[in-house]
Amino acid sequence: MALLRAALCPGLTAQMVPLLRASGVRTVVDFVSSDLEDVAQKCSLSYKALVAVRRVLLAQFSAFPANGADLYEELKSSTAILSTGIPSLDKLLDSGLYTGEVTELMGAPGSGKTQVCLSIAASMSLGLKQHVLFLDSTGGFTASRLYQMLQAQAEDEEEQLEALQRVQVTRVFDVYEMLRALQELRDSLSQQVLSSTGPLKVVLIDSVSAVIYPLLGGKQSEGLALMMQLARELKMLAREFSLAVVVTNQVTRDSSAGPLKPALGRSWSFVPSTRVLLQSKEATSEKTNTRRIASLAKSPRQPTGIQVVLDVGSGGAQELSPATPTQGL
Amino acid sequence: MQRDVGSLPLAPALRARLVAAGFQTAQELLDTGPCGLSKEIGISKEEALEALQVVRQECHSDATQTAGAPGTSRKCTALELLEQEQAQGFIITFCSALDNILGGGVQLTKITEICGEPGVGKTQLCMQLAVDVQIPECFGGLAGEAVFIDTEGSFMVDRVVDVATACVQHCQLIAEAHQEEDHLKALETFSLESILSHIYYFRCRDYIELLAQVYLLPDFLSEHSKVRLVVIDGIAFPFRHDFEDLSLRTRLLNGLAQQLIIIANDHKAAVVLTNQMTTRIGQSQSTLVPALGESWGHAATVRLIFHWDNNQRLATLYKSPSQKESTIPYHITVSALL
Repeated sequence: MALLRAALCPGLTAQMVPLLRASGVRTVVDFVSSDLEDVAQKCSLSYKALVAVRRVLLAQFSAFPANGADLYEELKSSTAILSTGIPSLDKLLDSGLYTGEVTELMGAPGSGKTQVCLSIAASMSLGLKQHVLFLDSTGGFTASRLYQMLQAQAEDEEEQLEALQRVQVTRVFDVYEMLRALQELRDSLSQQVLSSTGPLKVVLIDSVSAVIYPLLGGKQSEGLALMMQLARELKMLAREFSLAVVVTNQVTRDSSAGPLKPALGRSWSFVPSTRVLLQSKEATSEKTNTRRIASLAKSPRQPTGIQVVLDVGSGGAQELSPATPTQGL
Repeated sequence: MQRDVGSLPLAPALRARLVAAGFQTAQELLDTGPCGLSKEIGISKEEALEALQVVRQECHSDATQTAGAPGTSRKCTALELLEQEQAQGFIITFCSALDNILGGGVQLTKITEICGEPGVGKTQLCMQLAVDVQIPECFGGLAGEAVFIDTEGSFMVDRVVDVATACVQHCQLIAEAHQEEDHLKALETFSLESILSHIYYFRCRDYIELLAQVYLLPDFLSEHSKVRLVVIDGIAFPFRHDFEDLSLRTRLLNGLAQQLIIIANDHKAAVVLTNQMTTRIGQSQSTLVPALGESWGHAATVRLIFHWDNNQRLATLYKSPSQKESTIPYHITVSALL
């Protein structure tokens, strides 16, 4: 909904703008959808000039239809599938994280979301030698735990320290700070500043509900607007720069005995293309319970309901010995 | 800097008007100027000037951050964070089993939540921590100060005197055994009076006072930069009664959690909260769960649940980013929690 301004396009002079505004044509949409003969008469402007301006505005502001085959070719060349380092999770996600998409991990407190995120960061940084951006909004990022995971995967200390340097952590505790951090990322990627970020392919956000929850509820709608702003930034980042974006979310209950459902409501449920629910396995006779069940709740490629078992023990999130995906409930 | 108008921290009504008037990026706002802005949207010139100030501040802080100036930015690599974490100390609890499961003690820059039934020892542990944070560095402590925010009125000064006396005696024993100079020097300043004078006590009677106190805390902590512990004893109490609008409660609690984590991070302090337990009635049985709902469970970084098993008190580490889940027994004695 861009406003008509004097220098918006050649041909739209400063004298035309107030005349157009007086007759009710304020934005580009008003201009291209109005009857130009009428406007020419009301504002006593030349019909030819108006048609020329309309052509330029349409060329500047409209989206052009794309051929499906071209889109497919573009997708094949720009999409990468990044392995998470956990074979059973890869099986759940159809061989890994797809760039250009937003993946969501949801679970109750203590279900292992931060552990899985740390594990993904460790394996991407060590195994694939990619730079990783970790946006932490809960204070749950513990560098010593990441180091522990790296030590379990690689023997060489030099490699471990290099891998640690490739993980960049930004602490954002407010939705405006998060938007600012994402904006900075977009600026630095579009200017292709390679010095500090390097080849960035993965952005992990832990968690997105911690910054949105203080704005929702209480009969105010500005929270929803900011949430959708955040959703738009994430999707634009993922699509334009071919990044894989991973977010973590909470779960809530409707009533004290109802089933668990993902937080942030229906509006947010359309943002991630893949959703994985993490749950603790029922405690058996062992005292320490490090097993978690990951089930697929939403996916564009796999049938939902597949479950795998993960172990968030000392070596990072790993699969349990022979993990066969079972058809869940 | 192409900041979208929708993402600027302005008042929501103003933001909605700007978007409806067709402004899309922050640059357009700055180009229009205050007079043009006030004419276009129909606000007064002072409001337009204020809004443009906010926008200019946002864009400038963007620019300084991309130029690399650190300022108050919280960006760093994991390696730098690891070095910071390894240099940080813990607040020991004098109960070695508890310190073990926590990975050394209560961590700084994180929120630790202690849930438990009445009488299980939550306030005891808080008072213990308020004394332990002041142990001088040569004895392995942090030499910090403590802020104690009490909402239930359960802070007993005579109990703190008992704990502090025992702590000073313990340090004196260590000093006698090792006979080092700095130990003796530190003991001169580490006495009962100094311990009590470095615990800053606030009493909040309802949730509004609590929220106000937490909002004023950053200023207090900037003046008293040695504070390393903030205890809120009874975060559930003001929020559990007298609340008709539950969504407002969730919103306030989450806002409070974010404030606390900002305080913990910026001032390198540990935040300890105590929570109550409530019953969840399931299909066949009822279980005790921490109060304040599911979403509050995500606020704390580390969660400890204290419970009874016949006559033995047990502590379970339920949630932690770096330690495994485990349970240990503990006792409460005259001098400390063991």
